[in-house]
This record gives sequence, C-alpha cells and structure tokens, in this order.
Amino acid sequence: MRLALAYFLGIVLIFGAWAMVSFSLEEIKGRPILPYPWQAAVAAGENIWTLLSAFGVSALRFLVALVISFFVGLPVGLAAGFEPKLADFLSPLIYLLYPMPPVALLLFLYLAFGLGEVVRLVVVVMALFFQVVVAAQGAAKFISPTHIVAVRSTGASRWQVYWHVVIPATLPSVLTAARVSVGLGITMLYIAETKLGILLPPNQGLGRFIEYYTFRADIALAGVVALALLGLLFYVVLEVLERQLCRWKYVGVKGAGS
Amino acid sequence: MIEVQELSIVYGHGKEAVPAIDGVSFHVAEGEMVAIVGPSGCGKTSLLLAIDGLIRPTSGRILIDGEEVRGVRRDVALILQDAGLLPWKTVRQNAELALRIQKRRESVDGILSALGLSGFENRFPAELSEGMRRRVGIARALALRPRVLLMDEPMANLDSLTRERIQSLILDLWWEMGFTGIIVTHDIEEAVFLGQRIVVLSPRPARIRTVLDNPGMGRHEYRGSPEFMEKVKVLRQILGGNG
Repeated sequence: MRLALAYFLGIVLIFGAWAMVSFSLEEIKGRPILPYPWQAAVAAGENIWTLLSAFGVSALRFLVALVISFFVGLPVGLAAGFEPKLADFLSPLIYLLYPMPPVALLLFLYLAFGLGEVVRLVVVVMALFFQVVVAAQGAAKFISPTHIVAVRSTGASRWQVYWHVVIPATLPSVLTAARVSVGLGITMLYIAETKLGILLPPNQGLGRFIEYYTFRADIALAGVVALALLGLLFYVVLEVLERQLCRWKYVGVKGAGS
Repeated sequence: MIEVQELSIVYGHGKEAVPAIDGVSFHVAEGEMVAIVGPSGCGKTSLLLAIDGLIRPTSGRILIDGEEVRGVRRDVALILQDAGLLPWKTVRQNAELALRIQKRRESVDGILSALGLSGFENRFPAELSEGMRRRVGIARALALRPRVLLMDEPMANLDSLTRERIQSLILDLWWEMGFTGIIVTHDIEEAVFLGQRIVVLSPRPARIRTVLDNPGMGRHEYRGSPEFMEKVKVLRQILGGNG
C-alpha cells in the first residue's frame, strides 16, 4: 500500500514538474514548446490503438533481443570467466569489443542487413549482449572454490558443475546487469526503430511512432511516455524474475535484499 | 582398504614449486576410523583431496581396495570444512545433491530426520544455525551410503558445545553405518575422541612424524576419562615439540 502511494506521488510529481516546464517554456519563448501532460494524454487517447500496437511491437522486439542476448551472452560470459584457457583467448576480444557503440556502425549494419526486422534486433542485441557477457564473466571469476570442490567430489561432470554451481552462482549478477541495462537497451531500441525503421507505419514500434508524429508534439510526447513505461515494465519484470529465481538471496538475516 | 604409498604432492613448477606433501605412507583398514592431525596449513587437506581423487599425486600412489585412485570414486564421500553447502539450494536439495549427480533416486528423508533436520527441508542454508549447516553437509555425504567417508575439519569454527555434539554424532554414525573413516583435524581432543589410530604430520611439507594407537576410542564416556587425558597430553607433546 505504501509502495502504491509512493508511486502515485512520484507520478503526480513528474506530471507536475512536466506541466511547470511546459508553462515556463511557453512564457519564456512566447509560444508553446512542450505540450502539457493533459494534451499528451488526450493525444494518446485519440491514437490509442496505434499507440498500443506500437507499444506491443516494441515490447516484443525488446523481449526477443533480451532473450537472445541472455542465451548467447550467458554461455560466452561464463566460459570466459570460468574456463581459464578460454578466458585467455576470449577476454581480449570481449574487452576490445565491449566499449564499441553499435550506433557508430549503423551504416554498415544497414548495408549488411537492410532495413528489415533483423537489423533492428541486431542493434539492440549488440548493446545488451556485451552487458550480459561482462556481468557473467565477472561473476564467474568469483565463484567459491569450495562450492566447486563440493560438487566435483561427488563425481559431477563438467556440465553438472555448470548446472549446479556456475549458473546459479552467477544468475543474480547477470539479472541485475540485465536490469541495469534496460535503459541502454531502450535507447538502442529507439535508435533502431527511428534510424532503421523509416519505411514502417507508426504502429510498428514506439520509436517509429515518435518519429512519424515529429510535427505533432502532443502525440510524439505520448509516445515518449509510452517508451518510458516500456522501460519500467522490463525493469519490473527482471526484478520479479530475480526475486523468484534467486529466492535464496532474500532469505535469512544477512541475505535481506534491498 | 586404503593404502597411501610414498605420496608426494608439489604445487607449481620449477622455481615456484611448493611441496605440500613429501613421501607420506600409511594404510587404513576396512571399517577403521583414522584421525590425521598436524599444524594448520601442513597439507592435510591436500592429502584428503588426493585420496578423494580430486588432486593427482606428483609421485607415489593411493590404492582403495587395491585399485589405484585416478578420479572421484562413487563409494567415497567427502565432508568439507564449513560444510560447503550451496546457498541457492534448500536443505533437501543440498542433501540430495550427491545422490542426484550420481543419478540415484533414493530418498534423503531418513538421513535428514536422523540428523534432526526434519521440518527444515525447504529452508536455505542462510536460514540455519552453523551447527545445522554442518549436519546438512554430513547428510549430503552420508546419503550416498559411502564405504569411505573423508572429513576435512568438519568441526572447525564451531562453538565447543556444538563441536562435541557433532563429534558424538559422527561417532554414532560410524558405529551404525560402518564406513571407513579418515578425519583431518588440528584439534587434539577431536583426534583422540574420533581416531582409532592417529597419524601425526609435520609442518609443511607434510611428512609422517608418528602414528599413535588409541585403543580407548569408540565410547562416548571416553571423553574426559584419565586414559583420554593421558592420550591428549602425549599428542600435545608430540605436536608441541616442533610447533
């Protein structure tokens, strides 16, 4: 209940501040610059089906990118962190590629993949993939040797060591990294949907929706709010997932989560 | 049943080589319980891990039932220092771990209730007292019904009351299950309470300094008896002489 109240207050505060900025800008510049929240709300209501459809497409696109990043990034990161021989080979590759912004490669990605669905996924995956890899690698380096000995002494195969120790030990860090990367991922999604989505109608993604209504500020702004909500949605989903899958982190006296 | 022959273990190579164990030989008969004592960091754990097949000897060899140990054997179980429980698994999942890895389907209910862990099956290790965690570690090893039980300081870092309780528990389980046991410890009284024979190791690299017979071992009343005290004194003198 207190949490609901806190969120309600947060929303009131943001909309209040937004209204004040709109008002101030209008006073200073002498003409409307930023539409008021209620104007955006009306615009959202008038275009609700287009907006919802755009939200759904973006959400699905982000989900697919997240799942791909996770299922490809996790094994690569864990192997790089846990297998010393692979680490020597993979670490330089990871560290050289990690800081490279995929945005800088948009032109080449366009030339390579065209303007279809694949290229948009590639951009988002490129951003999220390295976050997962680096988090998994870091966490895998700090697995307690006692846990490995405990499992190996029962005659576990390499795969069983991964299943019983390496994956559960690193999952909390990886999920946290994924959650923290949602902001970056949404940014990349927006870029992918605007720069590489110019052939799409406005209901094919929020980035495209915002771009399409560039000259209708109230509608575009409704799209921006929807994009923020999309980020919030994934943030919450990942948090709930972490609490469910890593329940052990949140029990006991010491393990109390924040 | 277990034979350690001229075992040496060296970590690292060349100039950085660190000898951990240097030419150790002893044997353990079927059903016997042997304590290995030595100063901290003398290589006791390395010796135990070698018997478990997790560390390859640099030279010498280890035989169990006349077969050379070349990897983990399924009839040998290991109890680790601080229990080595997996924090993401519940009490039941931890106790079942060794069985499930070996694709065995036996239930752990019996062993959990024998160790006083009934009702805690769905708790995580972080929710248990230290003494209970150790018992889960013991349950995990004993669930396998091993023929050989290797124990690496299973009572380290426990308060003295809990330590004595778990020592008595291990003694009872040894009588009941009849495993062959090797317990590594740096606690002199523990060695005298739980070792039919006591192998005394030197500081690193570990060599055998002496092997003490301890015929009084086996009864709970032994602890505190004059005979027990005398044996503790003898052992303390041997260890103190170069310690």
